[in-house]
Amino acid sequence: MLMPFFAFEVEPLGAQPLFKLGPLTITNTILTGLVIGAALVTTLIMAARASQIWPKSRLAYYVESLVELMRGMVSELFGDEAMTARYFPLLITLFVFILACNLTGILPGIETLTYHHTSLFRAWTTDLNSTAALAVLTMGVVEVHAIKTIGFRGYFQHFFTHQPWKPLNLFVGLLDVFGELMRLVTLMLRLFGVIYGGEALLFAIGAVGGNLGWLTMLPIMFLEIFFCFVQAYLFMMLSASYLVMSTSMHDQEHSVAETRVAAGTA
Amino acid sequence: MQHVDPSLIKGLTIGLGAIGPAIGMGLIGAAVVGAVGRNPEIQGKILSTAFIMIGLVDAVLAFVLLILFTTK
Repeated sequence: MLMPFFAFEVEPLGAQPLFKLGPLTITNTILTGLVIGAALVTTLIMAARASQIWPKSRLAYYVESLVELMRGMVSELFGDEAMTARYFPLLITLFVFILACNLTGILPGIETLTYHHTSLFRAWTTDLNSTAALAVLTMGVVEVHAIKTIGFRGYFQHFFTHQPWKPLNLFVGLLDVFGELMRLVTLMLRLFGVIYGGEALLFAIGAVGGNLGWLTMLPIMFLEIFFCFVQAYLFMMLSASYLVMSTSMHDQEHSVAETRVAAGTA
Repeated sequence: MQHVDPSLIKGLTIGLGAIGPAIGMGLIGAAVVGAVGRNPEIQGKILSTAFIMIGLVDAVLAFVLLILFTTK
């Protein structure tokens, strides 16, 4: 016998297709992502237009404060002004877009407006495809940055050291390559799991509450808002620390190897 | 194997799956309180690291919730 707690339908794991645009199937998550992206671009362009030395507009003031705050955090992590200037635009874009997409899940009208019996809008990050796209983009940038900074040879040595024929180095190198792949997988699964799991939890708690569902959902909703912020911040900071680690560990290894070589010859 | 009530399995999933993240959160909280007590002047730095760690630990609980809500 099924207990009443589980006697409800949670939204399906995959996004539901809405209509076809040529060969491309538009799902409800893609539609929401496009709408959120357009809204963000419009808002931020308005803020950038209104930006001046003595900000008169409230919007520009808030956006500038956010950017200043985030820039301080990122430059503290990088410890390098050139690298911050280069990668901060990507990181702040990731943060703002992921945060906006996470928070859409608890707006009214999302998942309740329907179109041909499928919900018209659904939070963009509750689809594994979208978080996979973000993770592939981020890890691609990390690898390209590593290869550009330390070269193909250094990139290879970053995994397999400078003596790849030794069995232990080979084994550790293979583990490192596997770890790099796991970073990609965990980056996408973490964001998807937290946001999707949170929304399913919200739904379940609402179903438990019955007529008082709105009251039981309230504390979970605050928890959900907190986790939306934490996950967006985490995605940004993890990308930043992967960028730092992709080259700094090489320097360390290199210096260790150099000291070893120096000790051997001395 | 005998027939097992699926809601029992779901209850066990969330019950056992919440143990690990709960211990992890407790360890993070203890470490943060200790660190802030030792050097309160870098509280902001410690808290931002703590939020990253909370996010990492919370992901484990999210996977459990994911399994719980997507299995029939």
